[in-house]
Amino acid sequence: MKGFYTRMGDGKRVIMTKEQIINDIHAGIADAADMAGVPDLKADEVDLLFEIISDKNRIVGVEPGKEVVLTYDIGQLDFTGDNGNSGNGIDVGRRESALLHERALGGDTFELAHADYSIKPVKPIISNEMQAMEEIQSEIIIPFFYGAMPNSGLYYAPDGPYGNPADLMREFKIEEAMQAAEFTAEHLARDIEYVSTRMVAAGADGFNFDTTASAGDADFVGTLKGVEMLRKACPKTYIMVGMAGESVMGIHGSIEYKGEVVAGKYPHQQVKLAEKAGANVFGPVVNTNTSKSLAWNMSRSVTFVKECIRVAKIPCHVNMGMGVGGIPMWETAPNDAVTRCNKAMVEIAKVDGV
Amino acid sequence: MVDNKKELREAVIAYKVPGIQAAVEKARKAGMPAGDIIDAMGDGMTEVGILFERGKLFLPHVLSAAQGMKSAMEVLGPELLKSGDASTKRASVVMGTVEGDVHDIGKSICSTMLQCAGFDVHDLGRDVPKASFINEIKAGCTMCGMSALMTTTMTVQRDVIEILKQEGLRKKVIVMVGGAPVTQAYADKIGADIFGETASETTTKAKAINK
Repeated sequence: MKGFYTRMGDGKRVIMTKEQIINDIHAGIADAADMAGVPDLKADEVDLLFEIISDKNRIVGVEPGKEVVLTYDIGQLDFTGDNGNSGNGIDVGRRESALLHERALGGDTFELAHADYSIKPVKPIISNEMQAMEEIQSEIIIPFFYGAMPNSGLYYAPDGPYGNPADLMREFKIEEAMQAAEFTAEHLARDIEYVSTRMVAAGADGFNFDTTASAGDADFVGTLKGVEMLRKACPKTYIMVGMAGESVMGIHGSIEYKGEVVAGKYPHQQVKLAEKAGANVFGPVVNTNTSKSLAWNMSRSVTFVKECIRVAKIPCHVNMGMGVGGIPMWETAPNDAVTRCNKAMVEIAKVDGV
Repeated sequence: MVDNKKELREAVIAYKVPGIQAAVEKARKAGMPAGDIIDAMGDGMTEVGILFERGKLFLPHVLSAAQGMKSAMEVLGPELLKSGDASTKRASVVMGTVEGDVHDIGKSICSTMLQCAGFDVHDLGRDVPKASFINEIKAGCTMCGMSALMTTTMTVQRDVIEILKQEGLRKKVIVMVGGAPVTQAYADKIGADIFGETASETTTKAKAINK
């Protein structure tokens, strides 16, 4: 029995036969197609997926000429954060980190970020952030944004003024929970406008909304409204909207953006809402299932994202990292899996950037 | 009776409390036994769980359906007792997001689904001290569900299992673990009994172990 070295979604090394890999590729595609109502991948794309997974080299890459834009999120935190926070535990300043990403790591864009990486905590220190932006902009050449997560969880008790839907729903106070989510969406939009317009005024080339909808559908609506406000105030700024998962969680369940219920939207539907709000770039995200193989996760992710790219009118930079884009949920994502998933996203889903 | 069963099931899937109450009332008037009404609603709730897992229904909808079932049980419970058909709870479960971690959406969904599946759920919320899990187990819970959403807090699941061993309680309790960074391999490593990738998977495994 000939086997191929591959991985599970939790990073565990496994040997799988060609038949097992092909079966998992088909199962992953079928799952995405079924969940999101998107087309299956074609036979030649299945063959290419198998070819990528079964490649004998540990690291794979795209053919010359097929390279795409490499954007980084999370700012300096990929150095300074702990392993669980996608970081490496290296204490380095924000300026040094920005220049390292530009001059050593090949980043085509980078961003400034607050240690908490959320919109809300930036408000009281906005002057510091503006100052840092201005200083780094004087040295850096690549587009340099400000990045933060909308993270509307910080607006709910115990961290914020509104009742926590998780607590309220547990007590079956469903109406109150929905109302809290609606208030939060409005509050978040106002805070996004406050923070983002000031950062653009300080010289930011754009704003990256990272992990949008992590707290559910109201988080997504609040972000889209905030994007609208930023677009109105700064018509020429560059706005990226990156998501938290392939499907928008319905914590409210019925909240709408421009007449559409946003809960349950998949990447090919999410991107249309981001376009309506005024985003320049969309970042689709597909979460990894740790119990399934790399073949299953990679093919599933590519299936979701391919349709997103097909319908998008704006460029899409897919999120590729620990636990997303088919890459295993592992503190230090294994390079064999990282490069395979990236190659598949570029060559099959035809993403504009990663 | 077949129509009543179908109506009850569909009313639960439609998740509106007044609709569920009306279907229950109609079934009672038609002489349907309380146990059968509950079973039909249970079928509907199972379907709600499937639709939830598939992203077609969301947490408020699941809870609204559960609320409808809860209000129906206020009427059906005493009837069950009278008829001597009262089914016992499957098991008492202490649930919580471990200390240092405030992410509890997934855990709350899991608690609700376990409740709907007939478990007696003691949900301690988030940032739950290790001792609180132990105290609930000492007070009679035979299952313990711990959620952790961060790599820095998932180790608390292992700590609680170790305390259970030290206090001679480990064999008396079924330990369930879950949360984004938690995997089957990690669950095996720390000696948990059940790993759930999703709330539905956890509930299915909990039901299977409690048959």
